[in-house]
Amino acid sequence: MGTMEQKLNEELKQLQREIEVCEAEQDSYVRSISLQHGEALRGVLQTLYNKKEKGDGTLKKDVSKLITDITDTEKDLRRQTNISGITLTECCVKTLEKNERKTIQQYRLTGHCCFLSFQVEFALVDIQDSDSSLQKITDLNVILDGAEFKDLCAFVSRVEETKSLFLFFRTLRLFSERCKQRSCTLQYFKEKYPDVVRLPEGCRSEVMMIQSPKLPGCTMSIFWKISVSKEGVVQPKLELLMKMPEQAQKMDTNNVMETAPEAFRSLLKIFGVEASIESLIKSVCF
Amino acid sequence: MLEKAGTAGQEKQKQDHLKELHAAILTLRAKRERLFAETAALKDLKDKLDQGLPLEEEETDDFMQLEQFLLKSRLMQLKDLQTVYHLIGGYNLIESKQGKSVCVSFRTAFEGMYLETYNLEMDLRRTVQISRHNIPPCVPLERLAKEHLQADFKAFLEILSLHLNALAGRKQQVLLIKELIGTVEIIERNQLCNFLVFMCKIQEETEAAVLCTLEYGDLTQCLPTRVTIESENKTLAESPQWKKNQVLLMESPVHSALLTMRKVGSIV
Repeated sequence: MGTMEQKLNEELKQLQREIEVCEAEQDSYVRSISLQHGEALRGVLQTLYNKKEKGDGTLKKDVSKLITDITDTEKDLRRQTNISGITLTECCVKTLEKNERKTIQQYRLTGHCCFLSFQVEFALVDIQDSDSSLQKITDLNVILDGAEFKDLCAFVSRVEETKSLFLFFRTLRLFSERCKQRSCTLQYFKEKYPDVVRLPEGCRSEVMMIQSPKLPGCTMSIFWKISVSKEGVVQPKLELLMKMPEQAQKMDTNNVMETAPEAFRSLLKIFGVEASIESLIKSVCF
Repeated sequence: MLEKAGTAGQEKQKQDHLKELHAAILTLRAKRERLFAETAALKDLKDKLDQGLPLEEEETDDFMQLEQFLLKSRLMQLKDLQTVYHLIGGYNLIESKQGKSVCVSFRTAFEGMYLETYNLEMDLRRTVQISRHNIPPCVPLERLAKEHLQADFKAFLEILSLHLNALAGRKQQVLLIKELIGTVEIIERNQLCNFLVFMCKIQEETEAAVLCTLEYGDLTQCLPTRVTIESENKTLAESPQWKKNQVLLMESPVHSALLTMRKVGSIV
């Protein structure tokens, strides 16, 4: 009797294993179809959507249900994109290992946050035990594109080292938010004072120059850096740099040249960025 | 007689068990056959698509199955994206009661390890109101809701997620100290984990120790805003090495700071 039971149990386990393998195979086919044949897929989907809208009775119940699920999920994803500020343009998932207890999946994501684009690769290990479950990230790899990112290198290597996926996207969001603010402000001043304000490297860069036609040779440069610490703390830092021709420097009895940067720092603390820049511009304009 | 009845009972139990096993096997066999057939059809579809062959637009059963596969494929792609947003973004929203309320679940993580998930249900009729939640009482939820909820829903979610993640991160750091550096003794910590006192042993042989107090003034951060170093040996606490350690404790998570300190021989 015991052997009979053993035999049956073995067959049961074998069947379960075969089903797991088969399901994994199916998943990978399904994923590769959507990844490689997006065009064909969209065509068929559109036909089906139209059918459904017209109330075509030939649609099977399963198909109809699938279409509803798809539309709902699409709606949810639009909200996710909107709320997170992160747009994913490509998402590739591969199952590396799967059994009852443990699943390892590899993710490759391409996307952007504002105008900053990224590519992120990681593996997610999911361990389910009878009394506990555990999910963790391993092998995190981040590639960033764009000049804005040169100050992020230390942070990115720290993120990769500690596998802090959450922190990376949170900081990316904050950082791009600050970059957007900066470019909006710079753009605003450029438009308001086109004769005085110059943005030598465009509105997305960190430099703004103030030059009055009445004071040739005198330049005030504002360096607006957005620093990101190794632990992901985002902080804007503004500095003022003065340039004057030598002759003017001789007449600078109040030592404006040297005291201005410090004065600008105090101004920033009290009035904030926009009002400080505004007053700086007005000081040379009028 | 009794014994016989007992064995008969056992026998019957065994038979029943075997029957159950048999039934389970039959179900699984059927499932396997179905899956095999489906997978073969899927592979066929994929091959066709790979070779660029057109899909016949016929109302045949085959085509119906094709449609289903394609829909499944699209759904899978979307579900993967959904999972990813949950993995990278930190919160998930689900509308319920026909849009009258919304459930938000916040995931927390620290250094690649996913930690607790918290849920919040909000009533959307008239003004937005929190109806149910399992957020720990030490998180200043009411204040955050007052400051942000009506004005900017997105900002509210963001700041609450920051608070929850920072709390989970601070908690996890304490756990990691215990796990990684056994010689460090935790003297005091509170529920919010924004106040932490621990004792580091300096040398194996002597009782020499340093008391570190970490205060986390910013509840949205995992890093302290104030670190105090105390020791009976005043010169030690004032030494350049410990000044460095103080900076280290300010700038990196406490467990990794302690690991570095052990590496350079500041503590054992």
